[in-house]
Amino acid sequence: MKKYFREISVAVALGLLLLVLAIFAPDFFKPTQLLTILTAAAPVLLAACGVALVIMCRQIDISIGSQFALCSIFAGMAAGHGLPMPLVMLLAIFSGALFGAINGAFVAGLGLPSIVVTLATMVTWREALRWWREGEFVRDLPGSFQWFGFSQSTGQIVLLAVAGVVFLILVFALKHVSGGRFVYAVGSDAEAARLAGINPRLVTFCVFVLMGALTGLAALLNAIRFPDVDPKTGTGLELQAIAAAVVGGVAISGGRGKLWGVLAGVLLLACIAPALVFLRAEPQWERAIQGSIILLAVAADGWRSRKGKI
Amino acid sequence: MTNPIANSATFKTTPKWKKAFFSFEALLVVVLVVEIIIFNSTGTNFTTRDNLFEILRFSVVLGLLALVMTPVILTGGIDLSVGSLLGLSAIVFGKLWRDAGMDPWLAAICTLVFGAVAGGLNAVLITRLRLPPLIVTLGSFSLFRGLAEALTRGVDNVTGFPESFLFLGQGYLFGVIPAQLPIFILVAVGVWLLVHQTTFGRSFRAIGFSPEGARYAGIPVERRVAFVYILSGFMAALAALVYVAHYGQAKADAGSGYELLAITAVVLGGTSIFGGIGSVHGTLLGLAVLAVLRRGLTLSDQPAELGSILTGGLLLAVLAGEVLLKKFSSRRARVKTNAQVSQITPTT
Amino acid sequence: MTKLLVSLLSLTLLLTGCGQKTADGGNEGGGKQITVALMPKSKGNAYFIACRKGAEEAAKELNVKLLWEGPTESDPAKQNEIVETWITRGVDVIAVAVENREGISSALRKARAKGIKVVTWDSDAATDARDLFVNQATPEGIGTALMEEAAKAMGGQGEYAIITASLTAANMNEWQKHIKIANDTRFPDAKQVALRPCDDMKDKAFSEATALVNAHPNLKLILAICSPAVPGAAEAVKQAGKQNSVKVVGLGLPNENKRYVKEGITPSVILWNTMDLGYLAVQTATALARGEVKAGDTKIQAGRLGEMEIQGDNVLLGKPFVFTADNIDQFDF
Repeated sequence: MKKYFREISVAVALGLLLLVLAIFAPDFFKPTQLLTILTAAAPVLLAACGVALVIMCRQIDISIGSQFALCSIFAGMAAGHGLPMPLVMLLAIFSGALFGAINGAFVAGLGLPSIVVTLATMVTWREALRWWREGEFVRDLPGSFQWFGFSQSTGQIVLLAVAGVVFLILVFALKHVSGGRFVYAVGSDAEAARLAGINPRLVTFCVFVLMGALTGLAALLNAIRFPDVDPKTGTGLELQAIAAAVVGGVAISGGRGKLWGVLAGVLLLACIAPALVFLRAEPQWERAIQGSIILLAVAADGWRSRKGKI
Repeated sequence: MTNPIANSATFKTTPKWKKAFFSFEALLVVVLVVEIIIFNSTGTNFTTRDNLFEILRFSVVLGLLALVMTPVILTGGIDLSVGSLLGLSAIVFGKLWRDAGMDPWLAAICTLVFGAVAGGLNAVLITRLRLPPLIVTLGSFSLFRGLAEALTRGVDNVTGFPESFLFLGQGYLFGVIPAQLPIFILVAVGVWLLVHQTTFGRSFRAIGFSPEGARYAGIPVERRVAFVYILSGFMAALAALVYVAHYGQAKADAGSGYELLAITAVVLGGTSIFGGIGSVHGTLLGLAVLAVLRRGLTLSDQPAELGSILTGGLLLAVLAGEVLLKKFSSRRARVKTNAQVSQITPTT
Repeated sequence: MTKLLVSLLSLTLLLTGCGQKTADGGNEGGGKQITVALMPKSKGNAYFIACRKGAEEAAKELNVKLLWEGPTESDPAKQNEIVETWITRGVDVIAVAVENREGISSALRKARAKGIKVVTWDSDAATDARDLFVNQATPEGIGTALMEEAAKAMGGQGEYAIITASLTAANMNEWQKHIKIANDTRFPDAKQVALRPCDDMKDKAFSEATALVNAHPNLKLILAICSPAVPGAAEAVKQAGKQNSVKVVGLGLPNENKRYVKEGITPSVILWNTMDLGYLAVQTATALARGEVKAGDTKIQAGRLGEMEIQGDNVLLGKPFVFTADNIDQFDF
């Protein structure tokens, strides 16, 4: 019980929010509303899982929003050129993995600090995209793009299913596959991991590549919700993903965290903005509320661990 | 995490490091000279006295943030909230002057106090609750900007400040020297003296290298760390005053994105993001490289996106260069390469 | 130390390589050619891309050198920095789509003091900070047109919600003010029930619009006043299955909205012809620099647009254009 304090407290916070909504704004639980929130949150969940893995490995990636935007645009343009959707999906995942590999090469290969490397790639990708597209939507996509060509309700279910399966695979792999355990090992103590026969650099590199691939998949799943692609998509996603991971109990100092907690964190943050609409709150408080939630979550954590020490 | 043996090894090699550092800053000087040579041929009116002062004038606000970000990063911390705090301080100042009817200079002093208190909030969370600075300031980044928006509903724009106050940001001393320049020089000298010439300031680097080691050496780690975050808040408020005077308005979106620019300048200036290594003059050089690049490209009629792309590339190139340099100076090889994000935490 | 020198050299070569390319571009415009520096509110915004196309067309016709630069980030101080850099660079005329009236006026006054002609376009600065204002539509005109179209779409009564880019965007706050005035004076039965920011992103506008239609069961209309929000909100209405009860009206580009206009979700999209706006801005700026027009004139010859009216110191482009299912296919931008 104590071990999962953070995961449980986030779930409780989410439950409380939903309870308040159930009492004051039952309309929130209309299927169209819930499905929209879930389909919007599913890509964020995959991105946040990628970031969570990177954080567990004691690194950080703030270029995820820019990678996300580029992958979306690539996917859109590929679909626009008539590529079949499975190929488009592979292309998005592959280009994401490539961006991750670039970050990984600098971080794991050269040993540069990840926050600086990804700060640089964040700016570079985003500005290059702006230079190239000048903000123009990718339009006139074939009918097979939105919802993979299915009807809206089938498409939503397919999207959730894909995201759900990937999420479950990650949860399973992190717990039961040696590669997943390596992530925790490297994040806890890279030197000890090395002595135990793990190659920390290789693990770190792989985690970055995996994160890129997850981001590519997330970008595609997000893009197919719409009939065209906005190049500004994913702006600020890095903060959303990091906040979700941290609120969900992933320790920024590495080595600790549960993807279930990340799921709760993503859902909590995804519900705040629409909840404010339903509770008729003034929009200018939104950012202050989000900041307070992050601070409260980490302060609670700090308070508890401090008490534990004494 | 760090044992005494590793520490003593570090101390032995300090002179070597100084040397390496000297050369790292030499690298920046060369980059700067190359930039100037290039822009001299491509830019219109690049090498003129007016342009020099204009570059300096537009670097002051960012420079103040970067100067104080240096000791923050030296202690192994980071402050992502400075840009948001700049915006909030601008609003506080504007409201005190316009709505509370304060004299602008009194309002300015109150704003500086406010900035220090807001920095104190970060300091308390980081040192009392022992939370990672990255996360604390990520939260206050949203909180401060959110409060600035909430106080003004996002729309309110305080303008019409008295001429005497605006002179601080728009005026020229003797017709040539921008009025904000003396402030910047004063702060730069002050921070440099603090970090490099006092035992108090040198402890920042000790803390960044190893908080535990610093504690054993009798340094009050929490108090020193708290001090740099309070100083950071204070400086964000000072930067806000210069900003308001320069642009003649106080609005909730002031200073958006400045935290990343300030961190870029500091890191480009050779300060290790893991703390312990770095210098104030390096930061000033990093700042100059960035400012000259931005302005030179515009004077050469090149798009701003290119400037950002080059900044990103330059950051990676300089850091990669530093690592390669490290690899070749054999004795230093493995001490810091595997340093991790966790060391951003001042305490363990 | 040797290795350091090697890395230095390679870095130098890298930089010189980049620099050489810029040198060619920079030196072309020598001689007596007039330089017009044109600034949008922000780069990477579809609205201003169309303006740029028109501006380049005019620059070609008039044989002037056109500089196009604007903020790429949300920092409101960036426009000042670019204007002051242009002052140092020395251009003949500066034309700015003003993001922040109070902030930029001091920089523009400085430019005028140095003998540079100043034009504002799209949105105005303080009147003493510029020579002429190319006025595509006043905030009042936009606000009123938006409210009129909104009222038409909701039959003059009922609840509506506004989606804006951000709570701090100065021009949108100005439009909202006039929307409210028109609402109170002419359409008292219409009621604004919510205001939501979308960060100028279509995806976010979609989420906000979904929450709005579900949270306000009596909502009849979403008024989207930034361009990505119009298709975003329309898609949200469509996916929520509310095509019959909720309509979307807003300021947007025809290409992004064709689909929804034809489906009937978006009865009308409002915009002036942005290509003509960029074209007219460069025509006016050049005429001013060449001394062909001055304050007090009542008309200006503007290339393919013919003779345009000047009212006071405003060059008028005309009323905002309303795109509907009948005419939207004739436009491609």
